Amino acid sequence: MAGTTGTRTTGAAGARETPPGGASGRPRRAAHTRSRARRGPRLHVAVFVAPFFVAFSLFFIAPICYALYESFFTLQSSGLGLTEPTIEFSGLANYATALSSPAFVGSLGRVLVFAAIEVPIMVVSALALALLLDSARARWRAFFRVSFFLPYGVPGVVASLLWGFLYVPQTSPLIDILSAVGLPHDFLGPGTILFSIANIATWQFAGYNMLVLIAGLQAIPQELYEAARVDGASELRIAWHVKIPMVRAPIILITVFTLIGTLQLFVEPLILKPLTTAINSDFTPNLAAYNQAFGQSNINLASAEATIIAIISFVVSFGFLRVVNRKGNRAW
Amino acid sequence: MGSRIRTAAGALAAAAALGLAAACGGGGGEEPAKSAAAASGDPANPVELTFWSWVPNIQKAVDAFNAKHPGIKVKLETITPGPDGGYAKMLAGVKAGNAPDVAQVGYDSLPSFLVNGALEDITQYAEKDAAKFVDWQWQTGVFGGKVYSIPQASGPMAFYYRKDLFDKWGIEAPKTWDDFAAAAKTIREKDDSAYISTFAANQAPWMIALAQQAGQQWFSTEGDAWKVTIDNPDTRRMAGFWQKMLDDKLVKTEADMSNGWYKDLQTGDIAGWIGGSWGDAIIRGNAPKTSGKWAVAPMPQWPGAAKFASASWGGGSASAVLKGTDHPAEATAFAVWLTSDPESVNILLSAGYGWPSIKDTSRIPNLQQDDTVFPFYGGQNIWDVFKEADAAVGLDWRWPPVSDALYSTLTDNAKAAVEGDGTLADAFAKTQTAMVEQLKAKGLNVVATGG
Amino acid sequence: MVDRRRLSPATVVVLALLTAAAVYFLLPVAWVLIAATKSSADLFGTFGLWSPDPQLGANLGRLFGAEDGLFGRWILNSFLYAGVSALIATLLSAGAGYAMAKYPFRGRELLFNLVLAGVLVPATVLALPTYLIFSEVGLTGTFWSVLLPSIVSPFGVYLARIQAHAAIPDALLEAARLDGAGEYRIFFRIAVRVMSPALVTIFLFQFIGVWNNYFLPLVMLSDQRLYPVTLGLAQWNSQTFRDPAFFELTVTGAAVSALLLVLTMASLQRFWRAGLTAGSVKE
Repeated sequence: MAGTTGTRTTGAAGARETPPGGASGRPRRAAHTRSRARRGPRLHVAVFVAPFFVAFSLFFIAPICYALYESFFTLQSSGLGLTEPTIEFSGLANYATALSSPAFVGSLGRVLVFAAIEVPIMVVSALALALLLDSARARWRAFFRVSFFLPYGVPGVVASLLWGFLYVPQTSPLIDILSAVGLPHDFLGPGTILFSIANIATWQFAGYNMLVLIAGLQAIPQELYEAARVDGASELRIAWHVKIPMVRAPIILITVFTLIGTLQLFVEPLILKPLTTAINSDFTPNLAAYNQAFGQSNINLASAEATIIAIISFVVSFGFLRVVNRKGNRAW
Repeated sequence: MGSRIRTAAGALAAAAALGLAAACGGGGGEEPAKSAAAASGDPANPVELTFWSWVPNIQKAVDAFNAKHPGIKVKLETITPGPDGGYAKMLAGVKAGNAPDVAQVGYDSLPSFLVNGALEDITQYAEKDAAKFVDWQWQTGVFGGKVYSIPQASGPMAFYYRKDLFDKWGIEAPKTWDDFAAAAKTIREKDDSAYISTFAANQAPWMIALAQQAGQQWFSTEGDAWKVTIDNPDTRRMAGFWQKMLDDKLVKTEADMSNGWYKDLQTGDIAGWIGGSWGDAIIRGNAPKTSGKWAVAPMPQWPGAAKFASASWGGGSASAVLKGTDHPAEATAFAVWLTSDPESVNILLSAGYGWPSIKDTSRIPNLQQDDTVFPFYGGQNIWDVFKEADAAVGLDWRWPPVSDALYSTLTDNAKAAVEGDGTLADAFAKTQTAMVEQLKAKGLNVVATGG
Repeated sequence: MVDRRRLSPATVVVLALLTAAAVYFLLPVAWVLIAATKSSADLFGTFGLWSPDPQLGANLGRLFGAEDGLFGRWILNSFLYAGVSALIATLLSAGAGYAMAKYPFRGRELLFNLVLAGVLVPATVLALPTYLIFSEVGLTGTFWSVLLPSIVSPFGVYLARIQAHAAIPDALLEAARLDGAGEYRIFFRIAVRVMSPALVTIFLFQFIGVWNNYFLPLVMLSDQRLYPVTLGLAQWNSQTFRDPAFFELTVTGAAVSALLLVLTMASLQRFWRAGLTAGSVKE
């Protein structure tokens, strides 16, 4: 599962894992041969695991299945539509409709481009922030950590107001400043809109991803640094040669989450849509699905589109993991 | 994993089917034995109704109703506006069998509610009240001769403008669209930063209202088929007019009711707005320092028009009685009272719900003298302008059962045109094609004829 | 620690970079706080980072007085929804993650992959099916309809499993078992303590996730008094089209809710540090 452990066993933790005088590397079997453990391992495992999975099944799996089910039906009216519509099984018709719509397919292409922009920006900036905060030189860590993380706590409604004001020429102090120094400042044009969205996403989630990385960095045993420092390594070298390899798993994790997040890009374009002519209602696949479900009350087509989004997210993220895992330890 | 999901899906499908059957069965369960006379209810055992609306402060009107009708107790639940999720919730509620009895639904969305089977036929309870309401507003709730909703309010359009600036520039409120173009040109010549208005490509109801005023309607029925005529000569003329305004850079292209636009209202960079009657509160609230400098004129007219024509922004809103209610008579009584009783109408008017749907507005105090509104417009009784506008809304305008798709398709296409991708006329033509496809996809009959 | 007498060039560089980043992240937040002191007209008419005519007191008064103190209720609701569900989510995740890390059982990897796949489905579209399922059992419109779906955190399970695997040495569990401790006692007394940094992280993420969740309450709730603050603010914001005075309420409300969230995070930060030291007790 965790690449962290794969490498970490070479560190201090690994040394501790060997039971005193026991057969090294097989502590678990030893445990299970003991009578008390044998009496009820299944029961306590079930007690630990079951509550989560019951809730998971009810509130995740069930709606997913329901959505899948809905995606195979179509609400059919007839004539003028004055009589009650009928619900008809239509097989994969909704999927065909979605995939033959140039707008929906175009939106898939758009988020792939967006992912190519946003994923590297996000991962590099989150890693840079985490390493800066973790560096021995940093001070006021608590303040900085909260500051970076703060935007994640700004709800979408507020972010909408906020960036609405900051991207529009008439009300933006930012644009006042940029134009005063002669820098380009059209945030909402068709050429810049993807970058403006990338900026909001980075602003909101870089701090979150940074925390995931910091959690990984703090799990690194201090002895490793001390050993490196004794060898005369600089902070930069320690960061590059010790820290980054040690947080490989969390880096892969945030990459995958950012990838999924960008493929499912939704809130930011929804927020900016009323402000610009560069965003339409099928700007991203998720926005298109939302539009079908909430705007046009076509739950069936929306479900089919959502399923397509999920399948693509699945293929892309697990494909990414396969590529990464082939190169080294498994990330999970 | 596969088989587990299949089993679960099967079980759920069965559960869902049962649920749907129950929901459908539940609606017709109770016989409509009650006559219209019983609509006042029994004070000892009051009928409870739920009402969904998003009009601010509508609670006061509901309270007034409850005070006067001891036999009916209406509970208001303020929901998110329809297009932002409110409609989806109502439709889901109808599907699940727990929808409110009465809900606010836009005129433009009533047909799609009907196609989704979400409206209750209230003809027998409502027919007698038809004469109280303005004809075109009443007709928005009538389909195939049956009544499904009671009109609340509309948004008749007129031209708000900065009278002080117009005077300074030496121009008058435009009477025709040619005047409008000429005034726009003068403004550009006299002031570097000012525009007569914006072309709001973000605002489908606004563009639709312009087309509605231009003449030929977009949707009608022919036998048992919908006829789509978006791409018609009158709409093309309107599109051509605004295309020229865009090409000559005589109008701004920013979104209306957005941050930048609000600021431009304050500075005078936007000197006019063709807006709905409820727009007065927007101007007053966002640009309080311009008080006394505004005026309202009727919408500019097309040359050669037979009679004065106006339009209504997005139609307006109705109180719809939703399918599955146990008390259609009481629900109708409430809906009628809410928008026809003078006390209630006066409350709703100050809450900003729009232009009243009743014919006789002489008993509404705020329409005769309003000390918060009139001084802002230099003492003008702006309601006279809107009253005339509401009376000049075409009676035969029909909304399609796919208004949401119409709105998003139209804004998408118009935004593209503003970005230089095709013309506005192309945008309307593309919208026509898309709407025909949408209607067909729902299984409806369509005869498509561009005008 | 670093040399306290003077700042080395490297320290200056690190601090400069951190400060620049802080400005980037905090500037928009500062904008909200400043905007909270403005009237609707000034919001559009004046420079974004300066309030020429502050009226914070008036705005706050209107905010908490509006519609019988509705805003206060929304804040309370948000704390309740976010706090309770984050607590349960953390507990459930800890149990599941710990068991998956420390007990091999049949179907373990399958379940784990299922959890990860759960993250891939767009939540916005799940809201409506969830609504329809909930109305079958009559839960819609209740407190529970928002709380229950929020107790599931697939990401929490992932994090808990990683942390349990990495930070809890099997030897420690062995030793505890030899001392006669039961599995539950080991979990609550040892595992939870060692995993506490991850658990605080899970709690924090879930708390904020639920606090910011908009769609679930949007489809589930219709009684304003049950709304969380995000939904309430969104509703006020949508009414600005008819009555611009709602701008003041929305922006001031946004500032207050953001501020409260900051205070919550800052107080959790304390636990976090405590958690980190608890984690290092293993040395």
